[in-house]
Amino acid sequence: MSEITFKSPVDVGPLTSPDGSVTVADAASTTKVQVRAGAGTAAAAALDVSYGSSRRRADDALVCGTRPDEWTIYGTPGQAAAISATVPTDGFVTVIDITHGRAMLRISGSNASASLNKICNLDLGEELTPNGAVFSASVGNVGCDLVRDDQNGQTSFLIACERSFGKFLFIAVADACTEFGVQIPAGWELHGH
Amino acid sequence: MIIVPCPNCGPRNSGDLQNCGENISRPDPSTASLVEWREYLYMRENPAGWVTETWYCRGGCRRYFTIQRNTVTNEIRGQEAS
Ligand SMILES: [Zn+2]
Repeated sequence: MSEITFKSPVDVGPLTSPDGSVTVADAASTTKVQVRAGAGTAAAAALDVSYGSSRRRADDALVCGTRPDEWTIYGTPGQAAAISATVPTDGFVTVIDITHGRAMLRISGSNASASLNKICNLDLGEELTPNGAVFSASVGNVGCDLVRDDQNGQTSFLIACERSFGKFLFIAVADACTEFGVQIPAGWELHGH
Repeated sequence: MIIVPCPNCGPRNSGDLQNCGENISRPDPSTASLVEWREYLYMRENPAGWVTETWYCRGGCRRYFTIQRNTVTNEIRGQEAS
């Protein structure tokens, strides 16, 4: 199965504050494979993470326990078929490539949590959302699946939402970062439309 | 703001959830009278005090669960998955 060329709803960025404390970057082309599997299936055993946590596999795919009996596997672009093939499908299991149905962005830096906390109801502190934590929440009034996925020791979150909300989500998150000096490109302001 | 404890997600802002109202038992539609069916659809106790109600974890695990909530103080006890 050949991969379809991905077109992101976001065509700006990455946006970074002058002090480098927060960066918002489009990550929509990330491969996203959704697995739903009943307890006791080979798929549930192979994915091997519980709801609320994640792990980085040897093939570099990030396996997230997104909801009870539901997982999302994130990988480098164009890997949907390869990643899907790693999931055993015996029993009550569905494996769906949702890459094109979801937008995604990554927010990173020492002020990433502080920025996100302005538009997310959850406490994004170290205690409740340590590195690897997986959770779903409203971000800027958009229903999102989040994973804390630190990079090089820097706090970082991957945030996915329905593709049609992708541009708005990027605008809302970028707006939350303006306190730290992120400059919003013309036409991407949250207010003024 | 009310903090509602989801059995799967832990404490959540009620804005991320949906209150589905008081738990009431559904009469058998094949034998219920019109009055019983109307009461099932529309009539609620709405007490000033403890009520057993269902919530939907809309922004989190997307599961339903039951809690007891005091409608005067918003104190919550006894959550369980529905
Ligand atoms: Zn929940």
